[in-house]
Amino acid sequence: MSEQLTLYLHKLSPYSAKVELALVEANAPYRAYQIDLPNKPEWFASKVNPVGKVPAVTYGGPNVDPDDPSPLSAKIAESNVILEFLADLYPDSGLLPKDPVLRAKVRLFIDVTTKQVEAPLYDFIRGQGSYDNVLKGIEFIQGLLEEGTDFAVGDHYSNADACISPALARLKIITETDLGKFPVGMGYKLGEELKGPKFAKFRKYAQGMLDRPSLKQTHDEEYTITFFKTRFTERVQ
Amino acid sequence: MPHEQITLYTAKACPYAQRTEIALAEVGAPFKRYEIDLGNKPEWYAPKVNPASKVPAIAYGGPDVSPENASPESIKLAESLILVEFIGDLYPSSGIVPADPVLRAQARFFIEVVSTKFSPNFMKFISGNPEGTHAALLAGVDAIQDLLPDGVKYAVNDQYTIADIALAPFWARLNVLVQKGIGAYKDEEKKKFLKGLEDPKYAKFNAYIQRLLARQSFKSTFHEDVVAEVFSSKFGLAK
Repeated sequence: MSEQLTLYLHKLSPYSAKVELALVEANAPYRAYQIDLPNKPEWFASKVNPVGKVPAVTYGGPNVDPDDPSPLSAKIAESNVILEFLADLYPDSGLLPKDPVLRAKVRLFIDVTTKQVEAPLYDFIRGQGSYDNVLKGIEFIQGLLEEGTDFAVGDHYSNADACISPALARLKIITETDLGKFPVGMGYKLGEELKGPKFAKFRKYAQGMLDRPSLKQTHDEEYTITFFKTRFTERVQ
Repeated sequence: MPHEQITLYTAKACPYAQRTEIALAEVGAPFKRYEIDLGNKPEWYAPKVNPASKVPAIAYGGPDVSPENASPESIKLAESLILVEFIGDLYPSSGIVPADPVLRAQARFFIEVVSTKFSPNFMKFISGNPEGTHAALLAGVDAIQDLLPDGVKYAVNDQYTIADIALAPFWARLNVLVQKGIGAYKDEEKKKFLKGLEDPKYAKFNAYIQRLLARQSFKSTFHEDVVAEVFSSKFGLAK
């Protein structure tokens, strides 16, 4: 009889989305509870995650309502730590391969994604980053993709794919709508540049990730676009 | 099941590299050790082993060749924490990766805190970055101490794990460097840091650190003289 797993998340958080993608792809049962980040319930920091951030998971303990977390459940935070936890709970899911070398490759993909894709992209969207670093990161991650496979590592969806997919979803939004704090037109420019032959491998991989039902299930593009419209009204020149 | 050959490219002064040396010592893995002179890297290192030109790196499998002649057939892996997990995966019964998923998650969260709250401040402090204050270092100590369970020997429980391995080389270097006055920090900041650590509220942390530094796999892979020499030539002595 398996233990309960409750995911505390926010609809717009790409870090929450990584975890939810992994859960859906692994066919793992879970409960999702949305945390209103600007108006956090007081029990969230005191009973679930002292740092007050999402995603956070409670695991095990008695079956309680998500808004009444039990002190008996294990509390786990940090999206990449949670991804590893899910792979440990579901060792046959493929979230992490069984082979040690392939596991290292998944972790390396995640490390590069975190440092060279997520960080530059989210900085860029917030008007703080450089366009060149976004492109460099995409080029670097493309270098890790193998020819002729649909997945980041091996022949199965893994934590590597879950980790990068929310960033790919946001990349799609900024290249198609130009919404963000970066200078006007730079989103479209990025989109044009990514259409070139140099990025064919990346495009194919990204499209495959965006087409997955798990992504459609966990990512509300319209909602995210609306948020970008209201949030990023002042543009960097 | 016999594993493939492991060649570790490492450097005695480097805390990241020591993590992998501790892990290999803990699991008792046979391996070839090759010291990379970080001030004068061999020209074959980046093209044949690690394009990022950093240590540690592992060449795994492939034919039995000398480390200077790394084969394209071996798998090249890098990033100290990934290598430590890799070694744990090759030797699952060693226990450095806990068997229980919740304990594993606690170990990994501990490592996250070390990586975000402690080791960056260590580097800033030693290199004389104005953000590397005694207060920043002590905040890192607080963050780590907050995670230490009561009544157990190590970071996660009585078992020595990847969490301890992640921290030990960094703490040990900080410790040696401040004791010897090596680094670009101001002497005042060092004094405040050491005084801060004496506070009884850090008793749990200090006891834990003693156990980390007493661990055989740490001692056999820590080269204090080399650390002192390399860091003093790079950062000088405290003002």
